[in-house]
Amino acid sequence: MLEALAQLETSGLAELGSAADAAALEQWRIAYLGASGKVKAALGGLKDVPKDQKPAVGARANEVRTKLEEAFKVRQSALGGNGAAAASGPMIDVTEPGLLHATGLGREHIITRVRNELVEVFARMGFGVAQGPELEDDDHNFIKLNIPAEHPAREPIDNFYIDDPADKSQGPPRMLRSQTSTVQIRVMETQKPPIKIVAPGRVYRPDEVDATHSFMFHQIEGLYIDRGVSMADLKSTLLHFARGYFGPDAEIRLRPSYFPFTEPSAEFDMKIALRPDQPPRWIELGGCGMVDPAVLEMCKIDPEEWSGFAFGFGIERLAMGKYGIPDIRMLFANDLRFLRQL
Amino acid sequence: MKISLRWLNEYLSSPVAAEQAEHALTFAGFPIESTTAVELPGGGKDVLLDVEVTSNRGDVLSHVGVARELVALSGGSRGFKPPSADAVFTWSPTPSPAAGPAVTGDVLAHAAVDNRVAAVCPLFTARVIKGVKVGPSPRWLVEALAAVGQRSINNVVDVTNFVALELGQPTHVFDMARLGKNAAGKPELVIRTAVKGEKLNLLDGKTITLAGDEVVVADPSGGEGGRAVSLAGVMGGAETEVTEATTDVLLEAATWDPVAVRRAARRFGIRTDASYRFERTVDPRTIDGAARRAAGLIARLAGGTLVSGAINAGPSRPANTPIRLRPARCGAMLGAEVPRGRIVEILRALEIEVQDMGKPGEDLLCTAPVFRPDLTREIDLIEEVARVHGLDKLPVHEKVAVRVSPPQRSESAMRELARVLTGAGFYEALTFTFVGTKQAKPFLPGELQTIEVCDERRKADPVLRPSALPSLLACRRANQDGGVAGDGNGGVRLFETSAVFAHRSPTAKGARGEAVENRNLALLADAVLPEGGKAFERKQAAVRLIRGAIEAAVRALGGQGAIERLVFEPAELPMTAYDAAARGVVRLGDKALGVFGVIAETVQREYDLASPVVAAEIGLDPLVALYPPRSSVRTLPQFPSIERDLSVVVSEGTAWAAIDSLVRKARASGALPLMDDYWFVTTFRGQQLGTGKKSVTFRMRFRDPADQRTLRHEEVDPQVNGLVERAKTTLAAVLRA
Repeated sequence: MLEALAQLETSGLAELGSAADAAALEQWRIAYLGASGKVKAALGGLKDVPKDQKPAVGARANEVRTKLEEAFKVRQSALGGNGAAAASGPMIDVTEPGLLHATGLGREHIITRVRNELVEVFARMGFGVAQGPELEDDDHNFIKLNIPAEHPAREPIDNFYIDDPADKSQGPPRMLRSQTSTVQIRVMETQKPPIKIVAPGRVYRPDEVDATHSFMFHQIEGLYIDRGVSMADLKSTLLHFARGYFGPDAEIRLRPSYFPFTEPSAEFDMKIALRPDQPPRWIELGGCGMVDPAVLEMCKIDPEEWSGFAFGFGIERLAMGKYGIPDIRMLFANDLRFLRQL
Repeated sequence: MKISLRWLNEYLSSPVAAEQAEHALTFAGFPIESTTAVELPGGGKDVLLDVEVTSNRGDVLSHVGVARELVALSGGSRGFKPPSADAVFTWSPTPSPAAGPAVTGDVLAHAAVDNRVAAVCPLFTARVIKGVKVGPSPRWLVEALAAVGQRSINNVVDVTNFVALELGQPTHVFDMARLGKNAAGKPELVIRTAVKGEKLNLLDGKTITLAGDEVVVADPSGGEGGRAVSLAGVMGGAETEVTEATTDVLLEAATWDPVAVRRAARRFGIRTDASYRFERTVDPRTIDGAARRAAGLIARLAGGTLVSGAINAGPSRPANTPIRLRPARCGAMLGAEVPRGRIVEILRALEIEVQDMGKPGEDLLCTAPVFRPDLTREIDLIEEVARVHGLDKLPVHEKVAVRVSPPQRSESAMRELARVLTGAGFYEALTFTFVGTKQAKPFLPGELQTIEVCDERRKADPVLRPSALPSLLACRRANQDGGVAGDGNGGVRLFETSAVFAHRSPTAKGARGEAVENRNLALLADAVLPEGGKAFERKQAAVRLIRGAIEAAVRALGGQGAIERLVFEPAELPMTAYDAAARGVVRLGDKALGVFGVIAETVQREYDLASPVVAAEIGLDPLVALYPPRSSVRTLPQFPSIERDLSVVVSEGTAWAAIDSLVRKARASGALPLMDDYWFVTTFRGQQLGTGKKSVTFRMRFRDPADQRTLRHEEVDPQVNGLVERAKTTLAAVLRA
């Protein structure tokens, strides 16, 4: 009996595979799954099976029936539609040419618009746009940014790893990038200086979500490597950005800080009126500094010949300030009633 | 780091005001998180500064460290008064009398230390103070601790806490009588790796079970391996705690590997002032001074006799190697000429030893003080110069020099794409990269696997989405819940450009799959037109809508040439999200561009959407690569054309593509020499046609190929009739009456 079931399964699947159109498929269905089909017959044969074998044979028979039914459905959908039923009704023709019905205008997302505005101001200062993957490796998210093994920045609590951080048997764990600085490294690895780029994009940090924090947000990173680039150039670039984006009265201020991949490092503040109805005030915007010689060396750029600066800041914060958006979550809810206001 | 202003001023030759300190520290890299006025228990007043210290500056996690910075930043106007070993604060109304401790004997006769893990414990020192009288601390000490929010315990323990806050070196005291003794009958401390399963009762009353990779301080009691009496660098044990009954004290001053301390502190969820400091590196060379200070204060405040000498268990540390600083390099990095004399002055103010022969152009040889292990390279010194000199003094250029490059194609292409889609009524959505496992599945190509993040906090939606469509569907649903109507009856239309992720199956068992990350354009639109139309008609219209959007994008990015290579064809898809009766692939020539179709009812139900939706997913990189559009123009014809509509009745199964192909073949064979163009007009279904039949109408335009004359109808008729004949034989088509 078990052998007969195996035979039924093999022949059924083989014949089903050669059913090339709806008619052949229907014939197959009648032959195998129909009221007086082979499957029904096989199930009927169960009554002759010795009692002690009945549970095993019964289970196998049901398994064969299910398999054939499923295979039939798959084949049916592969041949387009549900066979007989569809043949009589109207069929959607995906080859009819495109036709855009007129409707209102859509909008780009406010974050994209702000991103584009920023990119444009930097483009006027000669910065091109670079991009890199969001799924990163240890080398680019940490090592080449001068963040060695066992550094606190690698804690699972601060990163979205996709491999178990405790299991290093397959190499260091991969992760979603926690900063766009990874793109600096990718650009320095593949391009010879002079390099002048900004890298806007999504970054991921497992922060608790509240009105000002999200586990996914956007950063824009800048990198300029050339002969004789100095910290004064960094300060000037940020000042001209501030003036270009916020108006000629914008001011800039650097405060010393620490980042593993820049030295000297600084935080930068801008004195700006985010909204025309507000007086200018100091806003802490982001981090910056001279690219650490160790980072240049790891990217095979001679720090005695070349020097450069990097900076980075969050896009959401700027957009929220500029457009008076009270809660970062509104940006990702994509409620059209919200998006249409911007 | 909480800094008491009154305490801070103990080390300054002239006192600093809160605002002065706040400004100086902020612009030297130590922002002040808050400034709070404090009422002390005795009625006195103080100001508490919460100073943010970056992780490279463990030396500033103390009052003396902050005082040193303020002195260096004062430009010589303020001097530093280091505390002597048994100095007490003078601002207390009842300072303890200075007695000077009695010193006798030899520490090695009283205790022993065995450091078995020098790699994680670079230095362990022990001192012994005998005959102390444990009791309340003097008022100045109680007030000093209270100012920074710490409770006074007793005069011995308070000293260890005080020294940590004063000098940044955590110390620990053991009650010698409660320590187990070695074979020679002396209390002994063994620094070793923990044994798996070993228990330790901590000072805070908790008992922890060690995993085996922690470092502990143990004593010889209780047989084999002894007993752990302290979790190294984190917290001491309860069993050897100093109490009122203690008379002899063993003072530990040590330093530990930051990584080992951090791991242990995190594992047991214990963050102490000690672990915080050790995690930021305590240099072994600063230990001795701190240990002397603690021993001196204990002897002074609790009486007793300081046993002479200290046990030092750990390798000796070499002196700092001098760092060469090129003043010209400093100027080049900063973009500002800082005079050589000023550089020297700044470095010396930071207690960096500078050898300067005074010859212009000659390098400076600089040796960092022991409390600054972060200074090892020239750039570290340049940063110090920048920091103290002041970043506000860096000049700014009024002009920026620019290398001009052509507009970036990828940027222009993305703007163009957004312009076309928003023009077609699509709103850009920006949704999270994470989706639920169940939501991801219908959009995952069958041969791939999902990638999930290992994070409890994303437990509900752990999958790095294989498509932005599940997110757009959720977004569509949220808008439905918000009662959002579409624009101009066209329903809601959404798009997103984002990275999508999946794993290729691993080649070996237990290996990781290869991660695939692509940038995709996802489109989603309601199937709501024509208004009042049947479900079928709306789905058909929606398919044409999504095709229209894709065609518009391809035309805008790639021009007419790209449109001619654009093919939409029905196909089985590797993902199950699309309706089997209304889906297909998009190709550019023979290159796959994406997939499109009506979203399957099962998926639509999952999101509880009132209207069917149509979607597409297009590879962004091949789309962007089309840019810029390449188009050429033809001059406009001078002579009028003749247009003819042809409606043919065919079976439902005959796609427009079949008719299109028929016409194309006829033209290619030269059967339609006068045809200028043709295009689809409409499909009609009705009872008069019979079930399973539809009528497809298309329009043809005929024109003199040379554009020299007007055509006559008689010339066109035979060509139209020929086409009808072909349709009859090839497609079993009947001309509609």
